[in-house]
Amino acid sequence: MVNYLAATSALDDVKHVINVLCEPHWFLIISVVALAVFLLKYRTVTKPAVAGTIGALCTLAFLVSCLDSNFVKIVTKADNVPIVMMMVLVGFLLWLAFRQAALNDERMERGEPLREAGADDKVLVWPDLVYIELIALVLCTAALVVWAIVLPAPLEQPADPNVAPNPAKAPWYFLGLQEMLVYFDPWLAGVVLPGLIIVGLIAIPYIDKNPRGNGYYTFKERPFAISTFLFGFVILWVVLIIFGTFLRGPNWNFFGPYEFWDPHRPAALLNTEFHDLFWQGLLDRRLPEHFLIRELPGIVLVVGYFVVCPVLLKATFFRRMYLQMGFIRYNVMAFLLLMMMLMPIKMALRWMFNLHYVVGITEWFLNV
Amino acid sequence: MATKEVVTRVWIEEGCIVCDACEAACPEVFQVTEDSCIIRPAAMAAEFNKPLTGSIRDAAEECPVDVIKFETMMAEVSDEAPTAADPPAEPASAKVPAAVPAKPKPAAAAKKADKPAAKSAAAALTDDETDPAIAALLRAAATRGGNAGILRSGDIDSDEWRRTAAAQLPPDARQAKLVEAAKKASKDPDAGRRTVAGGAALAVGWVAFGTGLGVSIGPAFGRFMMPNVLEEPDPRIRIGPKKRYLEMAVGEVNEDYKPQGIWMIRLDDRIAALNIICTHLGCIPNWLPNDKKYKCPCHGSGYTFDGINFEGPTPRPLERFKILEEGGIVVVDKSKKYQHELGQWDQKDSFLPV
Repeated sequence: MVNYLAATSALDDVKHVINVLCEPHWFLIISVVALAVFLLKYRTVTKPAVAGTIGALCTLAFLVSCLDSNFVKIVTKADNVPIVMMMVLVGFLLWLAFRQAALNDERMERGEPLREAGADDKVLVWPDLVYIELIALVLCTAALVVWAIVLPAPLEQPADPNVAPNPAKAPWYFLGLQEMLVYFDPWLAGVVLPGLIIVGLIAIPYIDKNPRGNGYYTFKERPFAISTFLFGFVILWVVLIIFGTFLRGPNWNFFGPYEFWDPHRPAALLNTEFHDLFWQGLLDRRLPEHFLIRELPGIVLVVGYFVVCPVLLKATFFRRMYLQMGFIRYNVMAFLLLMMMLMPIKMALRWMFNLHYVVGITEWFLNV
Repeated sequence: MATKEVVTRVWIEEGCIVCDACEAACPEVFQVTEDSCIIRPAAMAAEFNKPLTGSIRDAAEECPVDVIKFETMMAEVSDEAPTAADPPAEPASAKVPAAVPAKPKPAAAAKKADKPAAKSAAAALTDDETDPAIAALLRAAATRGGNAGILRSGDIDSDEWRRTAAAQLPPDARQAKLVEAAKKASKDPDAGRRTVAGGAALAVGWVAFGTGLGVSIGPAFGRFMMPNVLEEPDPRIRIGPKKRYLEMAVGEVNEDYKPQGIWMIRLDDRIAALNIICTHLGCIPNWLPNDKKYKCPCHGSGYTFDGINFEGPTPRPLERFKILEEGGIVVVDKSKKYQHELGQWDQKDSFLPV
């Protein structure tokens, strides 16, 4: 009995630690560090033995976590089951791509032909492709039928425009956008940034004309391109989906994976404005009357970010890239990169200082 | 003996983007350095370039900015040994340095170890009984992706390169500058002005056309977008006697008319009607009596009991409805709203005085 209690309390301590580590700032930092380690040590990490061990440990942690009722409640919610599967799939596909890249990079160093070199992946439409498609079709249908029976879609009360469920969540693939809306003004997070994501993805072939990596897996030849893409995808999309699915609870507060979703849990989130910090905190003066003067420091900061950073990067890290890309392509790339980095910057500012807006011209609906 | 067109001289014009494509196609001639691309010293000789005609042409074609230029001449090539005299006829062998005999290449020693692998790769690829087009593609992929034939800038002994460049600066760089200067000198000074004038006229024409179109069709289109009949419930809602709201404590929120979209609040000197729609993105917040705040379940916006935004992403306070008294009964008119950021909360009809 005593041992049982000791074991339980030890498990509670572990749960508490994990709950703390799942606070958004820790979670984001850990994700970024994990991604960085993965990219730096991709040849070691993707070895089947190492990757298998990591996968097994994750599975074990997941199964042990299922002893906790709060965890089970979130994970087995009919809406969330596919997201758990998606996370497994993201990890597996990352491994698959980087494993092949690691093998190719080693071959290149030894001067051997690439793995793709001898492959003849020509497939006849009839009968090969049609058979594969038929089998895929049958298997998908069967899986969907079983899924629909085992995990029925939740049926809720009729929609009422004056009642919103608590928490009210977007479909899982939009949870990254919903998370963005927490940190930015709606026009920015709902219109400008999603638009730029799409425009930026369309622009990639025009920005990046480097022929390396076409038709074969490699990481060594394209470290910047692949790392930047993975930061945007894994950290700023998948991790935000994890936030929205598993960590956002009632009143859109953050909850640890083993915490009870208590709608009455207090949360102190009193906003601070950048103009207050600057005029009252730094200069100890009253706010200026006119809003343009009031917001001048914030405007200078934002404009400076977009003007100074590309020049600084050009002189330091991106020198060779600038030579290769030329003025226009380099600046488009730098703008898109800086826009992407706005997201983690604003998240960090919100979590550290409860910063509401850097530029807050509510009079014109212009908030950044 | 047959006569063929062969490359005698090759040079690079200004505008290189340092993309490595030429070095991948023809490492014997091109060398991509940290910030430029140069012709190797050995390739200054016509005799060196002639057998490489095919891969130089490939490099010029693959160059994304088309700055690789070359001169050709007709030369006699022996029929007896076409592969020896004219390696470009077989792209795979041309791209593998091992196939070029006795070539004065700086990194030849370093590449020696790679030769057997490269040879066997090329052999394996050419022996394959696949479609010749696919085989060619595969060969290209293997060469481009890191076959032994590629000499990377990191492989080059930097000192050796510097010495060569200092002793005899590649003529291509000098020539490119001369060509550029000549081009600048011969430019017609009026050419730029003419194109600007033409462009301006074109722009004026299009703007005039667009304006005319907008003025003539715009209003009709705008009317078309409006519904002919608009059925809306009466925006005036009667919410009971004023006495009921006077009895509320200061700071209390009455949720009886939330289904109609109204929160009634009691301040120390007035009664007001709050719009329940979150000003962030239109969700419906919940009133949390213990925390004395409205909290939105969608993005976490929070408002104090009188509607002032203080936490979460929302940019502005909740709106208030027009409120008036008719014969002791309080009537809320949802068609008229008052916004705090516009200084409207002290306007007449935005509240009922106590």
